[in-house]
Amino acid sequence: MANETTDPDDDDEAPLASDGGVATQAAQDHERTDYLSSEVNLLNPSTPFMRDHLKIVWTGFVIWAVVVFGPVTLTRLAPGVMTTEMPVLGFPLHYFLVAFGAPTGALILSLWYARKRDALDEKYGIDHATVEEASDEPVAAADGGVTSEGGVDE
Amino acid sequence: MTVPTAVLQSGILPEGLDVSFKLLPAIIVLGMLLLFLAIGFVFRVADTENMWVAGRSIGNVENGMAIGANWMSAASYLGMASLIALSGFYGLAFVVGWTTGYFILLIFMAAQLRRFGKYTAPDFVGDRFNSDGARAIAAVTTFLIGFVYAIGQARGMGLVGLYIFGDIGIPGLSGYQSMVVFMMAITVGYLTISGMLGATKNMAVQYVILIVAFLVGLLLTGLSQGYSTVLPQLEYGMLISELSSEFSEPFVNEPYYLWIATCFSLVVGTCGLPHVLVRFYTVESERTARWSTVWGLFFICLLYWSAPAFAAFGTDLYAQNIGQVYPGGGEPGMTSAAGDVIVVLAAQLANLPQWLVGLVAAGGIAAAIATTAGLFIAGSSAISHDIYTNIINPEATQRQQVLVGRLSIIALGVITTLAALDPAAPIAALVSYAFSLAGAVLFPMFFLGMWWENTNRPGALAGMSTGLIIWTIPMINEVLPNYLGGVEGPFSDALATWVPAIGSALIAVPVVFAVTIAVSLVTDEPDMETKRVVRQCHSPEPMGQHRTAEDVVATDGGDAPADD
Repeated sequence: MANETTDPDDDDEAPLASDGGVATQAAQDHERTDYLSSEVNLLNPSTPFMRDHLKIVWTGFVIWAVVVFGPVTLTRLAPGVMTTEMPVLGFPLHYFLVAFGAPTGALILSLWYARKRDALDEKYGIDHATVEEASDEPVAAADGGVTSEGGVDE
Repeated sequence: MTVPTAVLQSGILPEGLDVSFKLLPAIIVLGMLLLFLAIGFVFRVADTENMWVAGRSIGNVENGMAIGANWMSAASYLGMASLIALSGFYGLAFVVGWTTGYFILLIFMAAQLRRFGKYTAPDFVGDRFNSDGARAIAAVTTFLIGFVYAIGQARGMGLVGLYIFGDIGIPGLSGYQSMVVFMMAITVGYLTISGMLGATKNMAVQYVILIVAFLVGLLLTGLSQGYSTVLPQLEYGMLISELSSEFSEPFVNEPYYLWIATCFSLVVGTCGLPHVLVRFYTVESERTARWSTVWGLFFICLLYWSAPAFAAFGTDLYAQNIGQVYPGGGEPGMTSAAGDVIVVLAAQLANLPQWLVGLVAAGGIAAAIATTAGLFIAGSSAISHDIYTNIINPEATQRQQVLVGRLSIIALGVITTLAALDPAAPIAALVSYAFSLAGAVLFPMFFLGMWWENTNRPGALAGMSTGLIIWTIPMINEVLPNYLGGVEGPFSDALATWVPAIGSALIAVPVVFAVTIAVSLVTDEPDMETKRVVRQCHSPEPMGQHRTAEDVVATDGGDAPADD
């Protein structure tokens, strides 16, 4: 609080100039990076942005693989435990984890990823709104609705 | 799948379903079709930009709904509950594969594809690998996918249409076949008028219709029979212990390997399906591409949480009212045609009012039409844009392109109708063949093309050919015998076990990756121009709404090396 430089949390309304003045290290890296000269290789990211992005991507991917193939594989390995009836809901455990757990897990992961990716844009000082060309009314409204949802801080 | 081909005569649907003309449901369906045509007419288009990508003007939630409607075909609406009812725990591989694949699409491909900014899947492949050969293979694959996938839709429309309209009696055809012809004629007519803008506007409407019909049908079926109160999606758990053990016991109907193979194929198929990918070109920015994927998955989950509940209710009602569900003790069990209408059947057996059963049935038709529309658009643009305009006649006028597009929609409609008159498998199985194809041929090209800039033309050509071959072998082994008189399939049991037609991508994808990488490594690297386009797809720098990665590279190319 004692710090009187611009609070990074209120930069929504801040003019571009103030943003440029307090650009984070990441945003400065972004300014300096020439993306067209940096190799694209999934296993060997060449820019700070892609390193950060791939960290999120791989984390999500590993959790995804466990959520999708974990329950069915456990059911193959330990059918007795996995087919136990769950309290309250009455489902056999394997059935619930597969029929409800996996789709829900993927949905939550997607929400998590989209937010992380928005946070990454913010960290690197990337603003999609300034570049998009003027679009017609309904589109702007739909986008606005999502901006408020997606823009929430982690 | 080894489910026997259904008998395609009047006895195709179970007794409890009461096949006859029903006035109120018929009015609902016809009213819905008129509404689609009206929307299509209002948003009719004559130029290519609007026909294929709706002017890139579609926003987030609307695109999410379009993703949902486009996605939720007869296979989701009818076929999935059918497979869960008939194959128990194995059917859940479809629930999982058809939802969780979207996450892979989101993290690895959605925004990058949006930045690449091309009209169609073949366009991506052709431009990324600088090869008309690759473009042609991708276009043929897209067309094949549309064809195989749409057979399942036509089967769904035929079965549900038969319930609503009864036997309309086209001479020489059975009731089911007449209905397939009738419904496909309507679909094609509507599509040739409206194109993609109308289709996108329609999809949001279609999504609302189908999700409301499905959820209301499920809720009231559960309520009226005392299965559930307000959350049937969770309450059907209590019912499971009362159903036959085949419904929930793992791996009794199909083994673990097939479960994994199916689920994997559906996941990679999701990431390679042209009619799904094209939805990312219709949005205004890559951020919208990401968020509309999240919205789309949510809209999809609403139905996928519910389908197993519908299957459980339907299975119980079938056992109480009609007969035993699973074969055994000399009884045949439920047929695949009965399974494919289990959602409608459940509502009917729960004694819901006829108009409500009609609404549930109409939702199935909306689902089938919406997806067929997306598939036919993707298939016809592959022919008109990628093969005709890019390869055969580069001088084509917009008029000629649109004409070729419409003609190919009609051609697709005709061959799909013919193949659906006597389909070889239940809806969901037919559709999953298309997923295996997309997963085996297109997914590796998108993935490697986007994430490894050294993937080159010979690599892509070798990889795609390998994928096509690996997909074709089990199709000949298992599916072809169904269309040949007097031949018992599959030709090879071992092949059917390890490379099943329904899940061949599990084997195909690693092999295609290996072939593509190996061939790319031993041949020349792609030129710098191509690499720079790939890099532009991964740059976090925002792009204008109407720009493609290629444009950016072309205009910024001169000053980029000045960096050091």
